[in-house]
Amino acid sequence: MSFLDWIVLSCTLIFIILYGVWKSRGQKDLDSYFLGNRSMPWYIILLSIIGTQASAITFLSAPGQAYTDGMRFVQYYFGLPLAMIVICIFFVPIFHRLKVITAYEYLEQRFDLKTRTLTSFLFLLQRALSTGISIYAPSIILSSLLGWNIYYTNLFMGGLLIIYTMYGGTKAVSYTQSLQLAIIFIGMFLAGWVVVHLLPEDIGFSEALHVSGKMGKLNVIVTDFDWNDRYNIWSGVIGGFFLALSYFGTDQSQVGRYLTAKTLTESRMGLLMNGLVKVPMQFLIMLIGALVFVFYLYFRAPINFNQGLLNKVHNSAYAPEMQVLEQRYDSLSLQKAGYVKAMAAAMKSEDQNAVESTKLALKDAETASDTVRAHAGRLIQKVDPAAETNDTNYIFLHFVVDNLPKGMVGLLIAIIFLASWGSIAAALNSLASTTMVDIYQRMIRPNGTDAENLRASKIWTLIWGIFSIAVAQFASGLGSLIEAVNILGSLFYGTILGIFVTAFSMKFVKGSAIFWGALIAEGLVIFIYLNDYVSFLWLNPIGCGLVMIFAGLCQLLMNIRGGKPGLKGA
Amino acid sequence: MQETPEEKPPVFSSWSVWYWLVAGVLAALIVFFYFFTKNYS
Repeated sequence: MSFLDWIVLSCTLIFIILYGVWKSRGQKDLDSYFLGNRSMPWYIILLSIIGTQASAITFLSAPGQAYTDGMRFVQYYFGLPLAMIVICIFFVPIFHRLKVITAYEYLEQRFDLKTRTLTSFLFLLQRALSTGISIYAPSIILSSLLGWNIYYTNLFMGGLLIIYTMYGGTKAVSYTQSLQLAIIFIGMFLAGWVVVHLLPEDIGFSEALHVSGKMGKLNVIVTDFDWNDRYNIWSGVIGGFFLALSYFGTDQSQVGRYLTAKTLTESRMGLLMNGLVKVPMQFLIMLIGALVFVFYLYFRAPINFNQGLLNKVHNSAYAPEMQVLEQRYDSLSLQKAGYVKAMAAAMKSEDQNAVESTKLALKDAETASDTVRAHAGRLIQKVDPAAETNDTNYIFLHFVVDNLPKGMVGLLIAIIFLASWGSIAAALNSLASTTMVDIYQRMIRPNGTDAENLRASKIWTLIWGIFSIAVAQFASGLGSLIEAVNILGSLFYGTILGIFVTAFSMKFVKGSAIFWGALIAEGLVIFIYLNDYVSFLWLNPIGCGLVMIFAGLCQLLMNIRGGKPGLKGA
Repeated sequence: MQETPEEKPPVFSSWSVWYWLVAGVLAALIVFFYFFTKNYS
């Protein structure tokens, strides 16, 4: 990075931190620290919801995923708008009416303390692990850019975050997220604009789309059904619906966002607007990745986008072997550039036969390139057996650092930091609020003063921050980070959602039945995942359904053993 | 927080219109993506 990039990066980050601190003055109790005195308008709710979900992972990993796997990941978001509608109808009115700070408070009123505690525990477990991965994501940027050790980088990134989140509380989180997203959208638009303008002069936006599509990268809709296929329209709409329903309806990191609204209407509007903008937003982010793919058909791409790992090999005994692979890879890159130019020319002259023949040749060259890349990956692992050779998270970063003008690189790196800080700050805030409200204040110290509670909330934020950093230290072997977070969520979200859906829809089920039903269902979900029976998105509806079935059965058994007549006795 | 159980939504006369709008936009997007995929593949 140039000096100008460092100035832009430093100024942006310092400005955001100061803005957050300034906006979060005057906290006196839990309501102000965790809910900002319930004073937010809908557009702040909207930006805060998006900012919480869209972490650095979204902006790093999603374009990289489009580059490697095409745009079909967009389908994962198809269930989200439908989930927003259901949450607005069933979840939000209840949370507002009961004036809860966390979603899990409701479960004690509906069931009992042990169900509330179990659900809080499941949430804390998955959210703390996911937050660790979210800390790791921006750390790889610093690590890759500066050659820093990833472990110290995690510590540095997380340390800054903890200070900022501890002091800020939810108000700082919401206001900084709004500003962060404004900067992020500007930056992503500029990145998209730059990638199109960096293509050769004879390739316009339309030709770039055609080339990308011919290479299978614009596969937004996949209609084939396969239980083990991660992204098709069926798993997206059904599995994505249950995942979004659970995430936005029962995950405190999101519930805590829309509970800061000043009215029920403001909460609903924030959620519905999220339902309107999220799918197009994700489409555009992934389109950038599909265009970056076209860019690297014309210009040399590295054999592995993780420059740090490549340097390791170049400084080892395997350097000559890697050079041979790189020469082969570069030669294939030149071939691909020739084919893609020929294909673009054939498309312009509308010569379908030539288009098809160059497409086949290009695909063959691409397959050969992938084989060489795989060889390089194995070589990297010989040098560093613990290295993650999946470079999906480095693709967009490499493009930005190598091709964007001075100043913009700093801005893009700042954007990735801001995106990450926004989601992690909200996550730490929700971890602290759940621990404080559902465990500490409920079971350990129920009679603390406002000042004591506020102090304890800040300490819990610190503790969860340290835990998340510890998790981040083990995140390097997880491949695509965006998938790792979603898989982790799917392991627990189905069960959590099942508890809430049972609470709303199965009035005869009581506390003990839902508790045991949820435990059995969670065990089965983990069993299904470990045996790889279905793709992870399906774990959400399966978990939800299993909770409802086992809770109903448990209640039936309890009624029979208690001498009550069937369901009516509950 | 103000307790207003029957709050009216902005712009439209009822929340149902908002819900249909969100579902309709999703359906339109899926149709658009379907033709987008077909056109460029």
